[in-house]
Amino acid sequence: MSAEAIPRVQLDHIAQLSQAAGEGEFLRRMREEARALLDPLVLPDRARHLWRYTNPAQLLPAHDPTEPLPLPLPGEWRQEDPAAAAVLVAGGAIRLVELSEEARRAGVVVEDLHRSQAAELVGSTVPARHGLFEAINAAAWRGGVLVRVPRGVELEEPIRLRLLAGPGGRVAVPRVLVLAEAGSSFEILEGHLGGESGAQVVGVSELLVEENARVRHALIQRWEEGVSGHLTTRARVASGARLQLALASFGGALYKADVGAELVGEGAEVATFGVAMGGDRQRFDHHTEHHHLAGKTNSNLDFKVALADTARSAYTGLIRIAADAPECEAYQENRNLLLSRGARAESIPELEIANQNVRCSHGATVAPIDPEQLFYLASRGLPRSQALRLIVYGFLDQTLARLPESTRQRLEALVAARLHAE
Amino acid sequence: MSEENRPLFSCSGVHVFIGEKEIVKGVDLAIPHGEIHAIMGPNGSGKSTLVAALMGHPAYTLEGRVFLEGEEITALSPDEKARKGLFLAFQYPVAVPGVTVASFLRAAVTARRGEEVSVREFRKQLLTRMEELEMDAAFASRYLNDGFSGGEKKRLEVLQLRMLEPRFALLDETDSGLDIDALKVVAKGINAAAANGTGILLVTHYQRLLNYVKPDVVHVFIDGRIAHSGGAELALTLEERGYDWLEQQAAMGGA
Ligand SMILES: Nc1ncnc2c1ncn2[C@@H]1O[C@H](COP(=O)(O)OP(=O)(O)O)[C@@H](O)[C@H]1O
Ligand SMILES: [Mg+2]
Repeated sequence: MSAEAIPRVQLDHIAQLSQAAGEGEFLRRMREEARALLDPLVLPDRARHLWRYTNPAQLLPAHDPTEPLPLPLPGEWRQEDPAAAAVLVAGGAIRLVELSEEARRAGVVVEDLHRSQAAELVGSTVPARHGLFEAINAAAWRGGVLVRVPRGVELEEPIRLRLLAGPGGRVAVPRVLVLAEAGSSFEILEGHLGGESGAQVVGVSELLVEENARVRHALIQRWEEGVSGHLTTRARVASGARLQLALASFGGALYKADVGAELVGEGAEVATFGVAMGGDRQRFDHHTEHHHLAGKTNSNLDFKVALADTARSAYTGLIRIAADAPECEAYQENRNLLLSRGARAESIPELEIANQNVRCSHGATVAPIDPEQLFYLASRGLPRSQALRLIVYGFLDQTLARLPESTRQRLEALVAARLHAE
Repeated sequence: MSEENRPLFSCSGVHVFIGEKEIVKGVDLAIPHGEIHAIMGPNGSGKSTLVAALMGHPAYTLEGRVFLEGEEITALSPDEKARKGLFLAFQYPVAVPGVTVASFLRAAVTARRGEEVSVREFRKQLLTRMEELEMDAAFASRYLNDGFSGGEKKRLEVLQLRMLEPRFALLDETDSGLDIDALKVVAKGINAAAANGTGILLVTHYQRLLNYVKPDVVHVFIDGRIAHSGGAELALTLEERGYDWLEQQAAMGGA
């Protein structure tokens, strides 16, 4: 007997959650509206590229994420790297905030999003109607961070956020809101890590990048084995502002990321540079969107994927240029390196260009390791495993080399660690 | 067999196949310590196939036996051969984008020596060797063979020869595509390696390089076989008369 299970998401304790977190009326209503979007539950159309490669049912929370169970605290945690601010989100709440003297004096705010005055900006770039998982997050998020960098403030050290997945069978639903006021300049590292096998994550991050701001944001996913999750990141980039999005995906069993930026003001720029490295039976599904809504905006994307064993990756990259957005430039390149016969990668560029006065290009490759490269390195004494590591490292590092030095070093270390785990 | 009359490098009865196709059709070589041998032959005669197969290229099937310092290395993997001291300078070196010359060389030197080399010592040696080959220091931070000119690639092959200090080196057309100044620099590197005790087998199409690196023995390679061997003067004869006379001889005598 195999009755088709009707997918459902249980969200029975929204009001208690909201109250316990000390939220105001705005957020409580947003949650209720989001829940209404989920009733009845309609799974996304799998004919669309966005969901062609991953079954959304596999990412649905298996348990009620709003259930007020006591959540285990993480063990000892210390921030050792230099940071303007350091935050840990675990077990559904902010556990720790450290603000450097420099950041404090400059008026940088890092606080609990549930109680923040800026809470009314929640949903600005990722509204509940964005999609199924965004609606789930909007209804059930727990453990939120607000980061606000005031007008004109430039930070030397990065802001570091760490968002932990939970124990097996639990669903973490974190939410991040970053406000980069006009002319501010800083780097923010959003690290998703931890978790036990069977843990799930449904995360959303929103970035508001105001006029002439410079933001370097990195979304780093290095969950433990067996964790699965969906992360959505959307930025709105105002005129003259520049956003760099770094993607680094290493962990988990099943990971779907939907990352993008809307360029809403003339001269706005976004560059998305990313790497993914998978092995075993890992499944990655990355979607990027660069949406040009104003003229003279630029976007650039360089995303590299290396896969071993029977890992799979799907990448869909959408460039969308609005009819009233002339003189834009948009470039997109996705390259995939396969280290084994069992590994598979798909790459689908999608262009929706409504203005003819633009420059746009895209390219995609999927290729196995070049045996001539392996022989060359072997002829210099490097055993196969070491030669492979070197080739993969070089493949990914060409993209990492385009990132600011501090992000680059961090990601290089993670790539090296991931390669040694192979 | 005593240390003195045991050849540094030798192979016997070597046939090389690509799939079903026989490219190298029976080669015997015995190269004593302290000698430089040259293999000359027309394009397509199988010179590159021979040296790549000796190094253990996985696309080729090698029959016969290969020895380094009396030890049979026929069945070893290319990286094992390299660590034992065999080296191949590629006719067409491969680019490995994203991997810098310095990091690659450090890994290779470590593998060859079987122990970590201190960063300081490595840097010092690298800079000395690069200077010797008239290479700019910035070269070390470029990606391996990526976007290199033909001449730069050949210099890098010789730099590796100097850094790895192999027991025996197969040099495949390390002279091709070089202007006369670059040729002299490359020759200087090869001679320095030879003076340092590395045995050398030079594969070349032209005798030009042999004006600067003096071979003890020249082998003429035609259609997968050594058709003729002689002293350094044989290279000059080939320069004057071409390969035709030997090709005809080989065709008649080969029956
Ligand atoms: N991968 C290959 N598959 C089939 N034939 C090959 C391959 N590589 C080389 N050959 C053939 O082997 C012969 C010898 O080539 P090569 O060793 O490169 O000669 P040389 O170095 O003397 O110019 C040529 O006829 C060439 O076409
Ligand atoms: Mg050749």
